[in-house]
Amino acid sequence: MSEQPLIELRHVYRTFKQGRQLIPVLQDVNLTIAPNEIVCLVGESGCGKTTTGKIIAGLLPQSEGEVLFQGRPLESYRGKERAAMRRALQIVHQDPFASLNPAHTIGQILSFPLKHHKMVSGRAELRRRIWELLTLVDLTPPGDVVNKYPHQLSGGQRQRVSIARALTVQPKLIVADEAVSMVDMSIRVSLLQMLHDLRDKLNVAIIFITHDLALAKYFAWGERIAVMYLGRVVEIGPTEQVIGNSAHPYTRALISAVPEADPIRTRSKQRMKLRSEDIPKLTEIPSGCAFHPRCPFFVPGVCDARVPTLGAAEGYAQQVACPPLTEGLGLREYEAAAEAPVAG
Amino acid sequence: MNLGFGAAATLTGLLIGVLCSLPPLGLALKHRLYRPALLTLAACALGGFSAGLWGGALMLVLMSGVVISYAYVDREDPFTSRASIDEVDFSESNWEFSLRKMAALGRTVRASAHALVRNKAGFLGFLGLVFFFVMIVFGPLFIEYDGQPHYYDRLKPGAKTLFQGPSKEFPLGLDWQGRDVLSHIVYGGKNLIRTSVEAGLMTTVIAVVLGSMAGLLGGVVDQALSALSNFILTIPTFPLLVVLAGIITFDNHTYLALLFAALYWPTLMRAVRAQVFSLRERDYVQAAVALDLGLPHLIFREVLPNMISYIVVNMIFTIRGAMYALVGLVFLGMVPVQEPDWAVMIYIGRTRQVIFNARAASMLLSPIIAIALFQLSLVLFTRSLEEIFNPRLRRGL
Repeated sequence: MSEQPLIELRHVYRTFKQGRQLIPVLQDVNLTIAPNEIVCLVGESGCGKTTTGKIIAGLLPQSEGEVLFQGRPLESYRGKERAAMRRALQIVHQDPFASLNPAHTIGQILSFPLKHHKMVSGRAELRRRIWELLTLVDLTPPGDVVNKYPHQLSGGQRQRVSIARALTVQPKLIVADEAVSMVDMSIRVSLLQMLHDLRDKLNVAIIFITHDLALAKYFAWGERIAVMYLGRVVEIGPTEQVIGNSAHPYTRALISAVPEADPIRTRSKQRMKLRSEDIPKLTEIPSGCAFHPRCPFFVPGVCDARVPTLGAAEGYAQQVACPPLTEGLGLREYEAAAEAPVAG
Repeated sequence: MNLGFGAAATLTGLLIGVLCSLPPLGLALKHRLYRPALLTLAACALGGFSAGLWGGALMLVLMSGVVISYAYVDREDPFTSRASIDEVDFSESNWEFSLRKMAALGRTVRASAHALVRNKAGFLGFLGLVFFFVMIVFGPLFIEYDGQPHYYDRLKPGAKTLFQGPSKEFPLGLDWQGRDVLSHIVYGGKNLIRTSVEAGLMTTVIAVVLGSMAGLLGGVVDQALSALSNFILTIPTFPLLVVLAGIITFDNHTYLALLFAALYWPTLMRAVRAQVFSLRERDYVQAAVALDLGLPHLIFREVLPNMISYIVVNMIFTIRGAMYALVGLVFLGMVPVQEPDWAVMIYIGRTRQVIFNARAASMLLSPIIAIALFQLSLVLFTRSLEEIFNPRLRRGL
């Protein structure tokens, strides 16, 4: 990449304290986001997607590692630069019912950042800008919503207001944290389409966090997808590759589990058999590759020995963190019989 | 001449009220809004009559807002037009801007009035409070304070006796010195209610300031304040109040309120702290942090507006508690006895052995019922307050 990345995560770790226990939520996350790019973060709940998003948005400090914004660590920004950096990184939350203050009208919600950061001069311009923003997120005619309170709007409309609020400060990156998962199915596509349009119009990068692989495939087609499992990125690359020619066994399992709209196809679909259905606890992350107790392609002595890092694998364009693939052993079905019978 | 609160319940006050009603009244008549016009006249006259210039001016502003909000509906607001952005003229003069703001104020007033009336129980409580307000402000116009003992003249043959039950002439009977109980009820509420409200306000201010400090700053501040509040909570407050009241002579009601506030703030403070902690984690607060809107914005625009209904309701409950504590103090005789006062009536009833005299029941029961009714009105009124301050319960206009 010749361009300087907008955001770069380098060996980012994050732990949370629970009582006396330290819970590692993120481990060694490396990620670069170029300006005007779309990256989808996919993974099951509890895998650290949201934490990654919050760290990228600068709302949560990392425990270890570095987060670089335009080549410099977030902590090194001071004064005016810090304010500009702060505004460049915005977040759109999952729950449209909790992300708007119920005490203010939509017009007020949008006017606060515009006024505070002096993005507009004078009342006429303020009103013009609010109108502009509301049309930008397809809330037309703007007069219908501007004097309403959040509780008078539908979930989809609120999510649009949320996005408009993030756009008030002209950000360079928007972290959309499950931004459409609480919105009706029928509204989702139009919201995603709008986000795409905004990216093209306003030159903003989008990190789209979701647990829904089908959604990620739709939204990030032609862009990049990163699959996360238990605090690590296990596979990252162009969407077509990750979906169409997935490398990591976890990604394959996810894809085989996506239900189709056609029930006959869903029932006849070949599901990948996992060795265990249980997701390990974050306090007891398995040694080596965290997926190895569930992985059908487990290689004893390799998978449980070393912590895998992202690397190229033969036959795949994307990067993957799977020792048998990166070390060229290939994936072979693990024979359960080979496992020593457990006594008791 | 005193035109402020001094003009209350006088002809001057009424005149001030009527004068204050003229601008919005004229505007309403010009726009042929007859119902708002009538309301305006009544509200302004009442405001002026009950609180002089202050009440009149407040009503002038509020009712102007209401009238403008009716008249403004048809005005051309760029935001109500459906034209495209290039066709809309967003500029507006200062005059139009202030009109728009006044209309917004008026809509808020109307929405609050709707919320007030909609909740039956709350409205009943409101009416109860209005009743006591009217009694305290306007009662003295009709009933003279009967403070001198009529011990001798009412002992004469044929005259009314002491400890008399209700009669046509004295609806609530006569007390131990032959004085009119009704006049004591009318005059005796003012001090008690004022002291309770003062105590409630002070408690709330202390609790909200300390509670939001503990909640927002966290860390050492939070620990110190929590420790202090826990310490005060472990003290049996009312006995301490009794002891302190015995040591300090309260010739001033404000000191009494202050003492109450100093002892009773921890309960509310802990509740406020918990609220702030919970609000601090809300997504919209996080979004405001990401938008870099600053701490004052966080406190006054994001956190406080969502606590205001909670705070106001709790303030009412604190006023209630303060009144009970005050009555208790007076009942025990720990506060200098000053007539007229509902609590003092109960105190005298106890010391003069009224409880053993069936004819004197009204002397003891009247202040008790007055206090109970006032408390009931307060508690019922909180229902309406919740609706008024909660934007989710408010109906859009």
